[in-house]
Amino acid sequence: MAALSKIIQLLDVPSLDPDDARRRKLVNILLLGLAIVGVLALVATVVADIASAGTVWESNQDRLTAYIGISATLVGVGIIFAINRYIAGWLASTLLLLLLTAAAAFSDAPEEVAGGRGLLVFAIPIMMGSVVLRPYASFIMAGLSSLALSAIALGLGWVPNPFATLVFFMIAVVSWLAAQTMERALKDLRTLNVELDQRVRDRTRELAESLSKTEAILASTADGIIVFDTNGKAAVANPALAGLLARPIGEIVDRDIEELMSDTVGAEDREVVAALLAGIQEARFPSVKVKWGKRTLSVSVAPVRLESDEEIGTVAVFRDFTREAEIDRMKSTFVSIASHELRTPLNAILGYVEMLKEGVYGDLLEQQKGAVGRLVVNTNHMLSLVNNLLDRARIEAGTLRLNISSFSAANLIDGVAGVMEVAAQNKGLELTSYVGEDVPQTLEGDWQRLHQILINFVNNAVKFTEKGAVDVRICMRDVDHWAMSVADTGIGVPEDARGYIFEPFRQVDESATREYGGAGLGLSIVKQLVELMGGWIELESEVGKGSTFTVVLPLELNVPEGAIED
Amino acid sequence: MSKPLALVVEDEYDISIIFARALREAGYEAEIIRSGDTALTWLAAEVPDLVILDLNLPRVPGPKILEHIRGDARFEKTRIIVATAYPRLAAQMRSQADWILIKPVNFGQLRDLAARFSPDLPQGEQPGRSTDDSDE
Repeated sequence: MAALSKIIQLLDVPSLDPDDARRRKLVNILLLGLAIVGVLALVATVVADIASAGTVWESNQDRLTAYIGISATLVGVGIIFAINRYIAGWLASTLLLLLLTAAAAFSDAPEEVAGGRGLLVFAIPIMMGSVVLRPYASFIMAGLSSLALSAIALGLGWVPNPFATLVFFMIAVVSWLAAQTMERALKDLRTLNVELDQRVRDRTRELAESLSKTEAILASTADGIIVFDTNGKAAVANPALAGLLARPIGEIVDRDIEELMSDTVGAEDREVVAALLAGIQEARFPSVKVKWGKRTLSVSVAPVRLESDEEIGTVAVFRDFTREAEIDRMKSTFVSIASHELRTPLNAILGYVEMLKEGVYGDLLEQQKGAVGRLVVNTNHMLSLVNNLLDRARIEAGTLRLNISSFSAANLIDGVAGVMEVAAQNKGLELTSYVGEDVPQTLEGDWQRLHQILINFVNNAVKFTEKGAVDVRICMRDVDHWAMSVADTGIGVPEDARGYIFEPFRQVDESATREYGGAGLGLSIVKQLVELMGGWIELESEVGKGSTFTVVLPLELNVPEGAIED
Repeated sequence: MSKPLALVVEDEYDISIIFARALREAGYEAEIIRSGDTALTWLAAEVPDLVILDLNLPRVPGPKILEHIRGDARFEKTRIIVATAYPRLAAQMRSQADWILIKPVNFGQLRDLAARFSPDLPQGEQPGRSTDDSDE
């Protein structure tokens, strides 16, 4: 096999012109054929010579002619092969054709060549001419063969054979047609190939351009972007990410998130990030803030899906929140300090006003009593606003603590009713309360905060109800949860506002802040307190009919470590 | 019969005035001291019936004074009301204090509480040890 492929390799000609290469290869194939025929003829001649002890030849002259003819053919084949290999174009083909024509002319006795069995041999160079030289070369070869034939006939004293010439030219026409058709087909094929090549090149360039565009966008994005494959290994990372994680891209790619976080991220944050990356389908707004080395980073993730919906990985976007986190912390500290500083003089004012009210400095006139009464109410209001701010700051700073003790539901509700009764009566509202029979005698929790929560809801209910009743009740929700609810017959909460009334500084209508008072901090604090207690808030409301706020709390407290006062 | 003696240890000027006034209204003779070290010096000579103690004091902190009083047999009959703005800190004082008030302290509330702690009252009517975390 190796020898065969060597030979086939030998047939190939180094040429850039595909037509030239094809023709010269064909010449080589023919030369190979000729060489084989020549060798076989030589072997046959030698065998016949020895077997017949020289009697096969009529004379020594004949014998010499045969040997010289065969040898000359083989040498010619060699020379033409060499020419064909190193000289491009028509020279080798022409020599081959001439050799073949000569071989045809001397292949047989002149009588046979001119009028008999030798005639057909001329067809070979004629047909070959069209494929190894040019399609029209078959006509030249036909002419050449006719001339050679005529010369032989005239040499014999015969009239040249016009039929032979006619046949030669007919063969030439057929060869010419066949070769022409083949060359055209090849040409078309080549044109097609060139076009195809061009198209492939264009597409490749477009793809490269779009890739480099995407890469340029990635590289110039300020957020850190990293893509993990389905095995959790980083496949792509942009320079911004390298900056945020303070390690070169080369040390990011091919590593998983655990490797990237080790040493620089605390154990708790590591778990948060790993969970975020693992459970991306569950979270609706999958984003967390973590301390990463010296920075605070927000991490958000999303699955990477192909058009076919196949998930090929996860993209995580890292944003530097260091400054924001620092500002947040400073803000919390500021609010905390400011609240404390505000409370000190307020406490003093309240003390003096109470002393006035209690008659410590002598009895007051009726009008003075009224004014002092308003002073007490307003100072208390101011204090509760400051306290709200302080609570808010504590919640944001994560320093709000719960004071857990046992208490009775009846006491809780009575305490609230006692505080709110007057406010309800002043607006002509009925304040009713109820404790379900199945509620346990004692409940566990931060009585103070629960009281604060209920007061907040009742206060709102009274504030936003013009006529009717406010009902406070404590019931069992299920075997594990109890619930306290405040129902009113007030203005209700519009559907679109239900999402944001628990945000700080939000009331349904900005004008409501002026009309109904309050800084809008209450509900957001209530929500966070309830969540700290492991519970949640439910809201049922119909605009114009009323609202019911329900706080559902677990019977068995499951408050995070550190959120309880010692 | 002389009036019972009360000590107000409070570094905020106005609050100390208000506290002292509430105690006087409750029938005490009230002494105001505004720093921890002065309070200890005063206590070396006097034995008050009631102490209103702030926890956040200059030089010697409130818990130290509380400890000092509880560790001295001379003050066996002295009642202590801790008044502070920090519920967490106050909770740690629960076992040593007779009562805990979370600031802001209501004037009337302190006056009535002090009156009930007065040694002039029969023992049975005095309140036991408890806490009031009122933060309203």
